[in-house]
Amino acid sequence: MKWVDAVIQGLLLGGLYAQYAIGMSLMFGVMRIVNIAHGDLVVLLALIGISLAAVFGLGPGYIILILVPIGALIGWILQRGILNWAVGEDPLPSLIATFGLSLALQNFMLTVWQADTRSLDAGPLVVQSVDLWSIRVGVLPLVICGVALFLTWALHMVLKTTKFGRGLRAAAADKDAATLCGVDTKAIYAQATAIAVAVLGIAAVFQAARTTVAPSDGGAQLIYAFEAVIIGGMGSIWGAFVGGLILGVAQVVGSRIDPGWGILIGHLVFLLVLAWRPQGLLSRH
Amino acid sequence: MNSSPLLAARALSAGYGDFQALFSVDFDVFAGEVVALIGANGAGKSTMLKSFVGLVPIRAGTVTFDGRDISKMPAHALASQGLALVPEGRRLFRGMTVEDNLRVAADRARRLPAGVPAWTLERLYDLFPILGERRGQAVEKLSGGQQQMVAIGRALITQPKLLLCDEISLGLAPRVIGEIYAMLPVIQQSGTAILLVEQDVTLASRSSNRICCLLEGRIVLSGRSSEISREAIAKAYFGVGHEVG
Ligand SMILES: Nc1ncnc2c1ncn2[C@@H]1O[C@H](COP(=O)(O)OP(=O)(O)OP(=O)(O)O)[C@@H](O)[C@H]1O
Ligand SMILES: [Mg+2]
Repeated sequence: MKWVDAVIQGLLLGGLYAQYAIGMSLMFGVMRIVNIAHGDLVVLLALIGISLAAVFGLGPGYIILILVPIGALIGWILQRGILNWAVGEDPLPSLIATFGLSLALQNFMLTVWQADTRSLDAGPLVVQSVDLWSIRVGVLPLVICGVALFLTWALHMVLKTTKFGRGLRAAAADKDAATLCGVDTKAIYAQATAIAVAVLGIAAVFQAARTTVAPSDGGAQLIYAFEAVIIGGMGSIWGAFVGGLILGVAQVVGSRIDPGWGILIGHLVFLLVLAWRPQGLLSRH
Repeated sequence: MNSSPLLAARALSAGYGDFQALFSVDFDVFAGEVVALIGANGAGKSTMLKSFVGLVPIRAGTVTFDGRDISKMPAHALASQGLALVPEGRRLFRGMTVEDNLRVAADRARRLPAGVPAWTLERLYDLFPILGERRGQAVEKLSGGQQQMVAIGRALITQPKLLLCDEISLGLAPRVIGEIYAMLPVIQQSGTAILLVEQDVTLASRSSNRICCLLEGRIVLSGRSSEISREAIAKAYFGVGHEVG
């Protein structure tokens, strides 16, 4: 029972990693951009949310409603203002650009919010739990995982069935051929990054409600998102979800073996997948 | 065909970095005609088509299409002006189904005036029945000829006034080439002009009203396909100093 419990807690933790990973996978899949500032954007949005909650006394639901459009706007501006100039065959310019952005964001956040750790008061949701087949499961992790599943499905459906989704997949497969079909690839890129950062607006609220955030936390969040994406398969949306869950399970099972091992086992599983199936579990290639 | 041309390039120069591939080219396509563009490897045929659709930047000169200067329009805006390219090597969207490949283009097609029959998925599936049968399959599963049909269909469904075809026979079996070339008169009769790049000179002159030859980035021969002699073509194709073998 102890291990079943560990796996279930791991799946629930993985829901949050999945939320980070969806946007990263989308950006990589469409533009071959690995956004080094991904984790810093989560932290930035979380700190904005915490401040809004403190100043206006808003609950987490309202904060999500505010952070999603803010995230979309940040993503759109980021792509139009910086990344559209850096995207291309060579991955180095975009790596350098997002690395620079990551440093700038960390400094900006330290200036505005100082080095303090903060968190978001999500009320009784944080402590509530339910019994599933005699395993105690927190309501908040359950909600996080459910939201991750919904977001993955929704994005999958948008990509599969809408005009925007077809244009985006076409631009990912062959940029010039997509242009010939009338696809404005720069606009599609801006919309993709807007979606990726908008999803981080949701993840940021859950992260801040579940635990604490500080301006320098971005790096760890980036690593988890990155590992989830690699495990699942670069560019695959369902891969990002599955990769997030696997990483979560590895960390929780690891920490049950020895409390200090959780993160380490997560990294080991990532390395194992990288060695055994470098294209990722759900990748077609 | 004494009206103004549908597409007109004037003193068009284009290239890549330091390399100039087209030298002050003057070139016309009139509504409803089929023009074949021939020339040796590296003559600049693909560069010319790509400069029309904005995939290669124009260095000097102008391109007007249907009376509008298109030389400074963004490439993605040209499909909805009525200019479509079937690119060399087909360039389909791998991982996407036949129908999704077509729909990417259909989603952003030129709006037609009322009463003008449009290219629809149904009409394309009538023209190429095998595509209808395989509409749900990923394009990379199709044979080369079938993939070429998807590439042509994808260009047609943008509702072009002028269809640019870059070596649509490349790498295909003669029977399949025949099948695909048999569609060109159907497309022409629907009112779409065609500019055809073709390596096979016999096929090129048989399928066109007019023929033009590029040599090292310059137009060296132009005339009615029925009137140009093979000797003149061979001379233009290889440049002066070469004899017909
Ligand atoms: N992307 C590129 N970068 C640099 N040079 C190029 C590029 N594409 C083509 N060229 C050069 O431009 C010239 C014209 O090439 P282009 O592809 O237009 O020839 P083509 O007539 O289509 O030949 P082919 O029959 O082989 O397709 C060639 O000398 C070629 O080497
Ligand atoms: Mg060519």
